[in-house]
This record gives sequence, structure tokens and C-alpha cells, in this order.
Amino acid sequence: MTESWIKRWLFTTNHKDVGLLYFFTSCYFGFIGAILALLMRVQLSVPNNNFLSALYYNQAVTMHGLIMIFWFLSPIALGLANYFVPLQIGAEDLAFPRINAMSYWLYLAGGILAVLSFFVPGGTANAGWTTYQPLAVLSLGTGPTLAYLGMVLLAASVTLGSVNFMVSIIWLRAAGVTLSKLPMFTWFMLFTIIAMLFAFPTLIAAFVLASADRIIGTTFFTSTGVQPSILWDNLFWFFGHPEVYIVLLPGFGIIANVLPQFTGRPLAGKTAILVATGLIVVPLSFGVWMHHMFLTGIPVSLQGAFSVATIAISIPFDIITLSFVESLIRGRVKFATPMLFALGGVVLFIIGGITGVFLSSPVLDRVFRGSYFVVSHFHYVMVGAAIFGIIAGIYYWLPRMTGRMYNERLGKIHFVLSFLGFNVLYFPMNLLFDMPRRIFTYSNIGDWGMLNGLATLGSFIFALAQILLAYNVINTWYRGPIAPANPWGSPDLEWNSHVEGMTPAMDSSVTPPAGGWIGQLATASDVHGPSATAAPGGHYGHLSSRPIEISLGALVFLAGTAFYPGPAGLGLMVVGALVVVYSFWGWGMDDLHDKFVVPPEPEGDRWPFSAVPKLKLGMWVFLSSEVVLFGSFLGAYVFIRAATAQWPIAGSIHEIPLGTFNTLVLVTSGFTMFLALQSIRNGDQRKLMAWLAATFVLGALFMGVKVAEWTNLGNGGFILANPAMSLAASAYFIVVGLHGAHVTAGLLLMLYLMKKTTRGFYTKDSHEAIENFGLYWAFVDIVWCFVFPLFYLL
Amino acid sequence: MKTSIALGVWAYMVVAVLAEVEVFYMITAYSTAAAVITVLATSQAVAVVLFYMQLKDEPGSLRLFALIPIMFLSALFIALLASLG
Repeated sequence: MTESWIKRWLFTTNHKDVGLLYFFTSCYFGFIGAILALLMRVQLSVPNNNFLSALYYNQAVTMHGLIMIFWFLSPIALGLANYFVPLQIGAEDLAFPRINAMSYWLYLAGGILAVLSFFVPGGTANAGWTTYQPLAVLSLGTGPTLAYLGMVLLAASVTLGSVNFMVSIIWLRAAGVTLSKLPMFTWFMLFTIIAMLFAFPTLIAAFVLASADRIIGTTFFTSTGVQPSILWDNLFWFFGHPEVYIVLLPGFGIIANVLPQFTGRPLAGKTAILVATGLIVVPLSFGVWMHHMFLTGIPVSLQGAFSVATIAISIPFDIITLSFVESLIRGRVKFATPMLFALGGVVLFIIGGITGVFLSSPVLDRVFRGSYFVVSHFHYVMVGAAIFGIIAGIYYWLPRMTGRMYNERLGKIHFVLSFLGFNVLYFPMNLLFDMPRRIFTYSNIGDWGMLNGLATLGSFIFALAQILLAYNVINTWYRGPIAPANPWGSPDLEWNSHVEGMTPAMDSSVTPPAGGWIGQLATASDVHGPSATAAPGGHYGHLSSRPIEISLGALVFLAGTAFYPGPAGLGLMVVGALVVVYSFWGWGMDDLHDKFVVPPEPEGDRWPFSAVPKLKLGMWVFLSSEVVLFGSFLGAYVFIRAATAQWPIAGSIHEIPLGTFNTLVLVTSGFTMFLALQSIRNGDQRKLMAWLAATFVLGALFMGVKVAEWTNLGNGGFILANPAMSLAASAYFIVVGLHGAHVTAGLLLMLYLMKKTTRGFYTKDSHEAIENFGLYWAFVDIVWCFVFPLFYLL
Repeated sequence: MKTSIALGVWAYMVVAVLAEVEVFYMITAYSTAAAVITVLATSQAVAVVLFYMQLKDEPGSLRLFALIPIMFLSALFIALLASLG
């Protein structure tokens, strides 16, 4: 293991490397999640078992759910997407390679926080993966807090990744790769990314509020009379239901990608599938979340509306499934391993989908919601369809990744055992519709003991079958026979890349070397220099230490936050914050000194955003997720206000003249920022500097006034510890604080822009950074347009 | 976009902020004040998006994209309040 090998894997920004990092890390987390699942199944295998205590069982259930959903299912799809989406669109890498690496390291940092939570006194979270509030407030200790903060990091990682993939798929398509020619996997990843982009910010908001309750004593979910459970349910499930499709769609994309190669005919109803998914499933996935809340006492009219929406969302899936079936009927099916897993995924999804229709009825939901019927339903959908699809993809692309062929017989045995084990595990749970879930042990009632025993047997068959997959992958990697260039005869670009600048590893017509491409890449790390260099591994290689530095800083900061207000916690927070700021500054300096250069992309197919530059598109996509983030916080605030009978009278807490003055300061800074942009558009660098400086002074003044206001409010008793003010203070300090953090980040960015301005970086023809910063600053302005009246005047 | 238009937007923003404060002091009926202030705040946000962020000059696809989060957020706001019964 050479130094350069380690350096490469720590500092890589190459999409294939990052894809492999995602892939193997998610497998590691999947292993942890599976061990927890097996512990649960052993506990439930016989009635009145005491293998696990109630607390340990609850912790196992909670962390199994969190780890499997957030650190295994989505990331393993992102691993494949990292590797193959750029190849399928004919790009050399993703749009923002360093942000891609940072997404990975933030994901890992979040996972480390979550796993660390097992090892602190009191153990980890134990209120279920849905972390229902205020139930979860009862889970005392630092462990749950660490897990929550891990979730915040993960959600931040996903948001950055979503922006990156969205811009890449839209902007980096090679000439001729029109949207109509996109492979189905890339299409479905695009749909997944859109759902991620708008769903995860709400999750961030929910976990920030819950973490704030635990760390600094806000009272969002502990105040009586606010209906905190309804607030949590809305925020969590607004994210949670789209998450089902976020997990499911990549698997479906792989199935749709794989089917034509093994039926010998084009996918039936391709357009119908795309329309159904893009125009119905994704938007409607944000309109069905309240079917998870039928039992919470929400009005009957709402139950009816969400019941109809839930039934409606099954229609596009009917279209998709019937198209798959038609492809099978009209084609000549070859039962290779990828096809078997694709077929298995479709069958399991049909079973899961049918049971889901029962749950859309409020009446039936009343019976099933708390039972093992639901456990069966969501595992058939989220594990069956999603994971069988992913495994199909692993077998399908293994020859492309390694240049070698997997063992077909072993693959088929793997399928048979997986399919058998899965159904023995989960089908009995349909028959356990009368057994409550969320209990750690049970009496021997009816067939409960027998059915649970069967499920446990299935769980071990299913788990052990995955050892065959691991063996097959490793064996293929090192000893598999050399694979044909295009073993499945696929027309897709990843197998037939002939884009300009293509290098051997991208060109499937070139016979791979003895160790396969991965082996060759692993020994070719010395070519990954700090500057853009053509690597024999196929694509230009870059190293950057900034992504891992920032993620490490974030990890240390949040670990410190969990231990706040202890001295160790505070120390960790300071160190972490310094590392983050230093690394971001270093990131900027790398740019300034051309230490990390992304070569310009060749002209490609960029419809429907042909006229929007790459960075600007990235900024708009990022800001769109920010809209949902702030909207979620403001939505929570409005809910709390509406639900609370007694609230401080407007004008009695905040000084309206001071707030008005500060609002006008920020509004004016928006105008000066516009003037800065106008100046450089006219090629006047001196004026650019002057207006940027004016904007900076106004922004700093705004923050200064804010700090003075907060100090006065604290001195006047408007603090979290004051029971009469606690909830109002919680809402104010969290929302205004978040806005303040954005303003502060903007001020730091402005310093960097001014430094570049003094060096003459911006010209009449090249000032994209100023334009993009202007978008960010205007957004900060917009948020305040709502924060000021909501908190000061209403 | 001309600087004079940007100046006009700034002037509107200032007037709208002052109008919000005026409404707070002048209109005692809470729901009426809340409605007027919400309209004023939204109009400021729209002005910033269209002029300072220059969305009005962007392609239709980007304008459409910018509406997506608003659509999802509206659903969340309505359902949040409706779930209170």
C-alpha cells in the first residue's frame, strides 16, 4: 500500500473513484444494518425471548432503519450513478468534481457520527427510525443527538450531490446525447435527484429543530399545546414519502436499462414510463405524505384527499409494471443473472405495491398501520424492488467496471437463495397483520411463533446469500475471465463510448489489461497530480484535500455540538469550525492559483437549459433547495404560531424601528450588489470593488445590529429558559440564526471575491462568480422579506 | 437591466417595508393586517427574483424550474395548517 495509493483514495475527485468509495462504504453500512436486522430477528424468532433487552431491541430497530435507508440504500445507488451516469451521458466527470468528493466525505462523516452513537453512555437512538417527537425526547443522552446530527450531515451531502448530478445530466451531455437518447438508468437518476433536491431540505429542518431541542434547550417538540407530534409528522413525512421513491427509482431505472438487453427488443412503452415517472410519480410523491398520518387525528377531509392521492400514485406504477411485462411477453428472454434479479425486482414490487394499495384506505390503515403487514409492505418495496434492481445493476455492469466476467452459475444460485430467503422472510409478515410491530417480545398467540420463526429462517437465508455476491464480485475482480467488450450487446454509451478524448478505460472496444481496469487504476495513482492531467485510467485526474478536510471539520464540529455545553464539546466546535473555514479558504486559494482546474466541457446537448451557464444553473438548483429549507423552517414557525393559544403580542418583544432600519440596510445591500454586477458588466473593476465593499459594509452592519438585538433580547428575558417566552425565543433564534449564518457565509464569500477583484480576475467578459454571488445575496434578501414581517409585525 | 430600473426596485422595496410597518400600526384587525403584510412581503420577493436575480430575462425552462419548490412548499404550508383542524 503505497503513500500515493492512500493519497489517491483520500483526495480523489474522479467520478469512478468516488463511485467506488460510495459503493464499498455503503456495503459496509449495509453490513452493519444487516447485523442489526439479524439481531432483531433472533430476538423475535421465538415467543417470550430475552436474547435482547427492550432497550437494545429498540436501538437495533432504530439504527437498522436509519442506517439501511440513509447510509445503504440511497448511497449504493449513488455509487453506481457516480460511476455510470457520466459514462452514459458521454461526460468525462461530473460537473463539480470537488463537490462530488465532498458529498461522499460528508456522507461518511454523517455515518461515523451515527455509528459513534452506539459507543457513548446510554447508547444510541431508540425511538424508531421515524424518530417520532415528542416520543424521541425521552431517549436521553448524547447518543441520539449524535445520530441526529449525523442525519443533518447526510442530508447536506445529499443536497450537494443532487445539485451536482442535476447540473451534470443537464449540462454535460455529449453532442448527440439528447434527452430522448438518455439511457433509462440516467433518466431515473434524474428523477431521483429532483425528488432528493426538494425532499431532503425538510429533513434537515426537522432534525435541526429536534437537535436544537436536545442541545440548546429549544422547546419545539417539548412544549405542551403545540401539537408537536403533528408538526414532526408533517416535516418528517413530507420528506419521508418521497424518500420511498428516492430509494426505489434507481432500482427501477436499472431494471428498465437491463430488460432490453435480455429480451432482445427495445423497452416497451419507454415514453409512457418516462412521462408516468417524471410528471406523475415525482410531483405526486410530495402530495401523499399524510397517509402516514391517518391515525394522528387529522381532519377526515384531509384523510380523504390524501387517500385519493395515494391511490392515484399507484396508476403510473401500473403503467411502468405493465410496460415491463409487455417487454417480457414480446421479447425472447435470456435468463442471465442481471435479468433474473430484474425480474425478481418486478415481482417483489408487484407484491409490495398491492399491499400498499390497502394502506391507502384510512379504514384499512387503521387496522394494518401498527402491524407487521406494514413492515412486510415497505420491505417488499424498498428492499425487494430497490435492492434486487441494484444487484441486477451490479452484475450487469461488473464486466464494465472490472473488464472481467462474473461467475454466472454462482450468480444464479445467489438469485435463487436471495429470492427464496426474501420471501420466506417477509411473506409471513403479511399473515402477521394481527401482530403489533414495535414490540420486543410477544406471547405465543395463534401462529405468531411459527410465522416469526419462519421469518427469522428467511432472514438468515437472505443474509447468507449476499456472501455469494461479495465472493462473486471479489473473485471476478481478481480472477474472472476477461469479459467481451460489450457482453450484453448494449447500445448504451457506457459500453460504446466513442466520444472525443476517450481513453482506454472508457473505450469498451479495448481489451482490458490483465488486472482489469480497476487494477490498472489502482496502480496508476501517480498520474493523479494536482493539475489537470490525462490519466491512463481514462479521465483527467485531480486530487484535492479540501473535500475531506471540510468534512472532517464538519464531523468534529458536530461531534462537539453533541457534547455541548461541556468544555470538550466547545473545544471541538471551535476546532471543527476553524478547520471548515480554513479549508474553504484553501479551496478558494486553490482556485486562485489554478491548483485545481476543471477543463472546459466541449459543446454538447444542453436542452432545455442551453442558454444557462453551468455555474449559474448550479446556483439556481442550489437555491431552489434552499427555498425548501427556509420554507420548512418558516412553515414550522407558522404552524407553531397557529397552534399556540398564547404568544407574545407583536411589538412587545422586538424593537420595530430597529428591525425596520436593519431591513432597509439589507434591502439596500441588494441594490449595491446589483450595482457591483453592473459595474463589471461595463468592465469597470474599480467600481466593482467599491460596490462590493459597500455591500460588505451593509451586510456587516446588518449582522452587527442583529447581534446587538440578540443581546438586548437576552437581557430583557427573551431567552429559551424563560417558560413564558421559550417557544417564541426558540423559533426566533433558530430561524433568524439560520438566516444570519447565511449572511455571514455571504460576507466571507465577499471577502474572497474582493481579493480576486484586487488581482484583476474579473473582466467585462468573465465575471460569472460575481453574477452567481449576486443570486445568492438576493436570495438572502428574499428570505428576510418574510422573516421580518413574520417575527416583528405579525 | 438598466440601473434606473434597479433603483426603482430598491425604492419599491423601501416603500413596501415602510408600508408593512405602517399597516402594523394602522390596521388593528389581525387577519386584515396579516393579509396585507403577506401580500407586500410576497411582492418584494417577486421583485427581487425578477429584477435583481433577473429571472425575467432567463429562459422559460429556468423560470419554470424556479416555480417547482414554491409549488411543493405551498402544499406543505396548506397541509400543515389544515392538519390543525
